Amino acid sequence: MSEADDAVRQFEEGLERLSASHAGAFADAAGEQALREANARLVGGQGELTKLLKLMPKLPKDRRRELGQRANALKQEIQAAFDAKLDQMARAEREAELTGPALDPTLPGRHVRRGRLHPLTRTKHEVMDVLVALGFDVDDAPEIDFASTNFDKLGFPPDHPATDMQDSFFVQRPDGEADLDVVLRTHTTTIQVHQMEKREPPMAVICPGAVYRRDDDATHSPMFAQIDGFAVDEGLTLANLKGVLTAFVRRLFGEEVPVRFRPSYFPFVEPGAELDMGCVFCRAWEGDRERTRACRVCKGTGWMEILGCGMIHPVVFEAVGVDPTRYTGFAFGMGIDRIAMLRHGVSNIRSLYENDARFLAQL
Amino acid sequence: MLASHRWLKELSGVDASPDEVAERLTQLGLEVEDVHAHGTGLEHVVVAEVRAAEPVPDKDKLRLVTVFDGQGERKVICGAPNVPEPGGRVVLAEPGAVLPGGFEIAERKVGGVLSSGMLCSETELAIGAGSEGILVLSGGDAGAPGQPVAEALALEDHVFEIGLTPNRPDCLGHAGLARELALAFGAPFRMPSPGFPTRLLSGVERTEGPEELPVIDADERPAADTLTLVDPRPDVPSVIPIRIADPERCPRYAGGVIQGVKVRRSPFWLRYRLHVLGVRAIDAVVDVTNLVLFELGHPIHAFDLAKVRGPEIIVRLAEQGERMATLDGEARAFTADDLMICDAEGPVAVAGVMGGADSEIGEETRDVLIEVAYFDPRSVRRTSRRLGLHTDSSHRFERGVDPHGVPWAMRRAVSLICALADGAASPVARDVYPAPIPERQIPLAPAHVGRLLGDEVSEAECRRALEGIGCAISPGEETGWRVTAPTWRPDLRRPEDLVEEVGRVRGYDAVPTELPRVLPSGRGIAPRLRATRRLREAAADLGLLEAVNFSFVSRAELERARVSTDAVALANPLSEERAVMRTSLLPGLLADVARARRHQAGAVRLFEVARTYHPVPGEALPREPLELAIALAGPRVEHVGRTGELDFYDGKGALVSVLEAAFGAAPETVADDALDEAAPYLHPRRRARVRIGGRDVGVLGEVHPDVGDELDLDARVVYGAVDVEALLEAVRARGVPQASPLPRFPAVGRDLAVVVDEATEAGAVASVLREAGGALLEEVELFDVYRGQGVPDGHKSLAYRIVYRDPDATLTDKRVEKAHRGVVKTARERLGATVRE
Repeated sequence: MSEADDAVRQFEEGLERLSASHAGAFADAAGEQALREANARLVGGQGELTKLLKLMPKLPKDRRRELGQRANALKQEIQAAFDAKLDQMARAEREAELTGPALDPTLPGRHVRRGRLHPLTRTKHEVMDVLVALGFDVDDAPEIDFASTNFDKLGFPPDHPATDMQDSFFVQRPDGEADLDVVLRTHTTTIQVHQMEKREPPMAVICPGAVYRRDDDATHSPMFAQIDGFAVDEGLTLANLKGVLTAFVRRLFGEEVPVRFRPSYFPFVEPGAELDMGCVFCRAWEGDRERTRACRVCKGTGWMEILGCGMIHPVVFEAVGVDPTRYTGFAFGMGIDRIAMLRHGVSNIRSLYENDARFLAQL
Repeated sequence: MLASHRWLKELSGVDASPDEVAERLTQLGLEVEDVHAHGTGLEHVVVAEVRAAEPVPDKDKLRLVTVFDGQGERKVICGAPNVPEPGGRVVLAEPGAVLPGGFEIAERKVGGVLSSGMLCSETELAIGAGSEGILVLSGGDAGAPGQPVAEALALEDHVFEIGLTPNRPDCLGHAGLARELALAFGAPFRMPSPGFPTRLLSGVERTEGPEELPVIDADERPAADTLTLVDPRPDVPSVIPIRIADPERCPRYAGGVIQGVKVRRSPFWLRYRLHVLGVRAIDAVVDVTNLVLFELGHPIHAFDLAKVRGPEIIVRLAEQGERMATLDGEARAFTADDLMICDAEGPVAVAGVMGGADSEIGEETRDVLIEVAYFDPRSVRRTSRRLGLHTDSSHRFERGVDPHGVPWAMRRAVSLICALADGAASPVARDVYPAPIPERQIPLAPAHVGRLLGDEVSEAECRRALEGIGCAISPGEETGWRVTAPTWRPDLRRPEDLVEEVGRVRGYDAVPTELPRVLPSGRGIAPRLRATRRLREAAADLGLLEAVNFSFVSRAELERARVSTDAVALANPLSEERAVMRTSLLPGLLADVARARRHQAGAVRLFEVARTYHPVPGEALPREPLELAIALAGPRVEHVGRTGELDFYDGKGALVSVLEAAFGAAPETVADDALDEAAPYLHPRRRARVRIGGRDVGVLGEVHPDVGDELDLDARVVYGAVDVEALLEAVRARGVPQASPLPRFPAVGRDLAVVVDEATEAGAVASVLREAGGALLEEVELFDVYRGQGVPDGHKSLAYRIVYRDPDATLTDKRVEKAHRGVVKTARERLGATVRE
């Protein structure tokens, strides 16, 4: 037997062996990895078919073409079988996934942790949004300010009981003595002085911020938050003040909420008023008297005080150099803490400044 | 201010329900904050007449009293020592009555004897504080037997708690409130007559001068037979001269003498009137002074004339350090800023604040000097504040009493004391008024009212309102008015004050509701406020909880936290704990973290946006920069299970995310030795400067472990703080991000591991690689940091993915290879690194 015949024989036997065994080899594969290994053994770079093809040069020339075609056909057959098996495995795996054990839907989600704005911030933002939409600019002012700005220019006479309403913190001079000219602002009303001293009317500005008074109990915190606003122009009236604040309350609390203005006193306004809104807890305006009588928030009155306001007093205009014969203006101020407490049913103001995550996360 | 509904009704003539009255007063700006009912729930409590009283066997203190209750006789056991003689009137709670406090009356046996009811004391009925036994009715108080006690004693009343604003001293008395009430109900108001004393001292010489105040108003003209003349007591003056040394502080002082008083208990009606107003009845003289105070709002004082030494009253400033014991028993020292009422030897009262203990009315008092004065509000206020002595009197003088109300108050007091304490009054009192306080004239153009209110207001309406509050109107300049304000309204000074009065009387409801035309200013929200809002919202969105801490902290807290102690100190802090203004947000957030850890809160993730305060040498006001700070501490939780403690890199991730979300500006964190000085509160090896575009905007790091130990913190705290102004400037300088075309050709990636010394920063390695890659290098991304097997001690292996791209052509392997070889070479040469490809 010639070397060529021997090669032909080996080649043909090899092809037959492969042809007979590949189906079994694939069928036995226990997973994708095993399947790929089996495929590599058959047709990979070091595989059986590759080894057979190395015999090609030894084959007689007249047979090479035919044997080559057979080898090629076999390779395609094996590839097809492999693909089919792979497909079948993937399908089986998908079936197993779809019918196997379900995940535990009660485990916690993998989400970004919950952060929160402080209730005071949220309330402040809402109040600001409404007022900005009504045409007010927003600006700020120093928290530590001259007593003349905080009191005198706003019409608080010295040694007047009106200053009792706002018992203030004074700062120490470097020599340790009290500096009676500098206070922690007791109200954001100082914005009027700061703005009117540097701008010409017309103007409409609100100022949110921290204010300080020497009070400390369940309803008074030595530091708390306010928003003051004011507008100055020719011909502004009390009717305009009512218009702006009525719109403000309705947009913040609901269009159905009634408001009432009653006379009150703040040294920097004249006429002065207090704005009450219908109690949003017992919704007194709906007429359920029993509910209102039992309401602890408005103490059965049906009304909640929400802010103080009035027409800017001419003494303020004179103090800041605005012509009171030409301009009029209105002003208002409210406690953000109080509104936040009303909204969230918070009974002790101190809890707003303790930063207890258990408390903040509720709101 | 407490006000009795019954009394207001008497004075105003307005017969409206308590609810209506409360509503109207509130609408007038006299806010009724609460209403308390008195004398209710006294069903089955009646007036009874004592018929007999007999001892109870074996019970010393008890007596069996037979009373007539209008229908029949009852026998009741009584333990009180003051059961009156037969014919006396007492108050009987019959079986079925429920006394205030819930005590039910029923027939029961006491000491073996059946008691069919109970004789009551004032305390048991909650109508007074008399505790000397049962209530015995006398004279005009007594009703008919069987009459319900509430009716017989006129007990039913409602007391309004009025939150008066400080501009309305006129309403600190019932007469002023009654004037308002009458106006609200459209009823005419007339000040009632003060009355007059029926017993006068004889032989008082009259001068008919301006300093003489007749105690009988010339308009009263009592019939001659109603007056009795009484001889003055020997050696007791009928008129006391008054010398005012400081007319600025005491523009007016009147003193009237009443002799021969019997200091005894006031009649029930007076005691009860004071009781519902929360004032304890003392004796007829003192009770009358209180009654006048609550009636007119004008505080008056009664001295025991025998205790006033020397011939005259002197109103002067105290000598510095001068001493006197006040009525409350306190020995006090005064300053040269305190106005005193003095006799020849020294002070007898603190003007407008409180009387002296030595000249107090007592049982032995026979002769009385009544003081009715007007003191300067600021003077009284300063003294009251300095002494910490806030009284019904100082409260009114501080706000301004009516200087023209002096005669009425004097006449009222004198006539009542004479009537209730059997005194005889000097027909004239001294009234020294060296600095007359004029009525204020205010010009008003009636049209101005409507212009300011924004409504049509007729002249008639203005006139009705202004005259209703006591103003007089006369023609003024041009078409205007000259309005004379009454002296009881010191708050009326300018036309705007009168506009308010008109608006108030018409009701603010009458004013229309009209939005103004507001021209947009184009300013909107100030940039730094807009910035804080974005920062807050970004921080909250990224999982941080917002904290709001007090701006004041203790100096010790600043020291413990190792932040600047160059702080603004408060002159009058509430406590040491809140004595200085913070110089950093760190102390507050550390306290929050500590509290959260005490509550076993697990991971704490907080932020705060607020001001810090820094004194500026030579400036009165400090700097108040706004800062954003974050504080993280505790376990890092990833899904279920912890993966270590939060550290610097968690902080960096949070801070970068917040700034990126808020401004699209990712900061860099770089080492900076200057932080030893600038941020000694941070861990010297685990901290960084925060920069944007090369500008410092803040700091970030783990809090120094020694600081944590000081505060007993059981977890490392990661703290970062950013100055909002610096941040805004950096963001502005960086400008708006510019668009560039998206790549059209594919990129090719190569990985590279560089083994370097521990001290070498990953950021520095990346920079070297980026530079070496030239134009084709698009991105260098660190994807692994490895220490351990195969890497020498003190070294780390940094694995980077390097992305190459030619924007204008598809890269060939060859070009990538060339560029990458350059990178590898540079890494070896410049970093001295072992490079593994």
